Amino acid sequence: MTEKIVITGYGIISSLGSGVEKTREALLKEEKSIGRVAHLCTKHTEIPCGEVKESDEELKHQLGIGNDVVITRTPLLALIALKEALETSKLTDQISTAFINGTTVGGMEKSEKYYNDFFEGKHTEYIAAHDCGAGTELVSHLFGRFDFMTTISTACSSAANSVILGADLIKTGRVDAAIVGGTESLSKFHLNGFNSLMILEHQPCRPFEKSNQGLNLGEGAGYIVIERESVAKARGAHILCELSGYANTCDAFHQTATSETSEGEYKAMTQALHKAHLETTDIDYINAHGTGTADNDLHESIALKRVFGEHIPPFSSTKSFTGHTTSAAGAVESVISILALQHGFIPANLGFSEPIEATGLIPVKKTIQKELNHVMTNSFGFGGNDSSCIFSKYQPS
Amino acid sequence: MSIFIDKAAQISIQQPLSNEWFTNPMQPTERLCKFSLPNFKQYLSPATSRRMGTALKCALSSALSCVPEEKRSNLDGILTGTGLGSIENTENFLLAMLQGEEGLSPSNFMQSTHNTIGSQIAIAFKCHGYNITYAHRGTSFDSALLNAIIKFKLKEFSSALVNGVDEMTEKYFQLFDQIGYWKDRSVTTDDIRNASSNGSFAGENSVSLLLTDQKSDDTLCEICDTELFYCPTDQRLKEYIQKLCKENDIHQIDAIVIGNNGDDENDKEYKRLCGFIEPSATPIIYKHLFGESFTMSGIGVYVGATCLKEGYVPAHLTMNNCQLNQLKSVLVLNHFKKLDYSITLLKSC
Repeated sequence: MTEKIVITGYGIISSLGSGVEKTREALLKEEKSIGRVAHLCTKHTEIPCGEVKESDEELKHQLGIGNDVVITRTPLLALIALKEALETSKLTDQISTAFINGTTVGGMEKSEKYYNDFFEGKHTEYIAAHDCGAGTELVSHLFGRFDFMTTISTACSSAANSVILGADLIKTGRVDAAIVGGTESLSKFHLNGFNSLMILEHQPCRPFEKSNQGLNLGEGAGYIVIERESVAKARGAHILCELSGYANTCDAFHQTATSETSEGEYKAMTQALHKAHLETTDIDYINAHGTGTADNDLHESIALKRVFGEHIPPFSSTKSFTGHTTSAAGAVESVISILALQHGFIPANLGFSEPIEATGLIPVKKTIQKELNHVMTNSFGFGGNDSSCIFSKYQPS
Repeated sequence: MSIFIDKAAQISIQQPLSNEWFTNPMQPTERLCKFSLPNFKQYLSPATSRRMGTALKCALSSALSCVPEEKRSNLDGILTGTGLGSIENTENFLLAMLQGEEGLSPSNFMQSTHNTIGSQIAIAFKCHGYNITYAHRGTSFDSALLNAIIKFKLKEFSSALVNGVDEMTEKYFQLFDQIGYWKDRSVTTDDIRNASSNGSFAGENSVSLLLTDQKSDDTLCEICDTELFYCPTDQRLKEYIQKLCKENDIHQIDAIVIGNNGDDENDKEYKRLCGFIEPSATPIIYKHLFGESFTMSGIGVYVGATCLKEGYVPAHLTMNNCQLNQLKSVLVLNHFKKLDYSITLLKSC
């Protein structure tokens, strides 16, 4: 049997605030943080978002980065969450570590601002900060050296896929630890893109609701530190939980719609359970992808019914708290899943009143205290890039 | 367990979906070397062709040409590297949005995300397997290749398609020109062999490699391993290569594929690397024929694999302009701005 992968650190920033403690409190208190944007420059101020409260300048100040440093919002959010993940894990330089980052927006929020200026030779320092990898490199330059680094961009499942790559890198002995997750800032490009698809909700989103109209975009970053069990134990690390299963599949149906039978989602959840050697009845809570769009919520419900039959575990979508943080979602929701496992609670699915007729599934409506042993988190992206991860209470080998 | 490159296909400035570049290459003369487009009709329906951007059409064509029909849905994974994704679509959406945030059509947005390429290939292949996209600058393709190898080594894959796709629009070319990426004249083979100034020239590429755990009559070569490094010490690279050669019973590396692109700073680093890795190995160049992009290293692996299949390196691909015969092992080196490095070892089979 291969060695266990354990989680020894975590960090998060979202519209709920920064830090795991703040996030836990907000989830327990059912705080509402989706609303009018203050920093994003757009004409569509009528569209609510889950925006991080701090401006770029405030984030720089918190991080001790000079205002003159060329950096976009996506890596700034990453640095806040990464700092916390490293501090909680107490990971040292002696351990070979990978940094795997998920993002899609990259430096777009600056490119869209300065695009015309670029051609006139102004703000050209942001040209090379545009691509996805640029943000990952910036984070690394400012934070320190990693032995391995890459950037994953599979839209809304980017961060979940970075968890999967990290685990596989450890399993094949290439590194002993990995900092995995993702980051995404709001941008006018993304907001208008989702708006052109007509899937943005004009009030706080209500995942799995009968009359759901769409999603709220969010922004944020999340990272977890995953480690080979023996390495974590040898350095006396505090083990938060273990990563027991994961899978990445493709729906292979349509760029923005899901197949009738939700094939990719079904396969992702089934294969993750198989990898974890768990039965469907072992799962105590599912942190659903639950974007709030009619297509996602119906098809995720169909997939849940296919996988779990009549006994669907309690589930909720915490996108009702944070909005859809897209590339960061897999990590933001992994951190939330770990908190739920660690502190024994199930966060609410805010705004729900009536179930979707075709499937009739009812999510957890109020945050409840409950002892949990195994939590599944789903991340389903554009293009049918579907991934599921399972976190379990740590059982020493 | 061994991993083989069973088939390979490329679309670039060179004759598309062909190995003509090996025996009869075309010498690029432009600063921006656009795709030589294949006959898309052979691979895509007119309706599909109309709604897709160029990078996507090229990616689908190279993927379809690389993987025989009966193997497509059974692939265990489709792994793609793209530094910039479909930037033609991204720019179209961005430009329309900058005109006003109203009445925008979603089709360009839908194709703008990097994973469109990999997911459209999966749709065309009806393949539900592992599907991932890497967008990490100069090691985007290398990340995808490494991920595939890991999955083979974990025995989760027995076949996979790995792609490296990047296009370069006129506008993006101009942006990169502003920050000194390109020379102000076309790059010659002499620039690649003896760089003395800054800047390179732009290329476009869609390269597809079919990896399998079974050798066939078509197999190009065996792929022993790929590893990525971030700011490595020379010692770390040396130790890795020594270990790799030992594990694969290779006593002498015959040739090293290097990413010389005419930029002095970039090329000096390859010279330095070859100097301590295996000074007697013959350096193989390829970017003089294909140009530079974030995923051009995929062409580097393809060039190395093709040389192994043919059993020699033609003179036009070597640094010293002399043909190298009896080729058994090739190391493919890639670095991006001396930050990200990758090493791939190929051997004949």
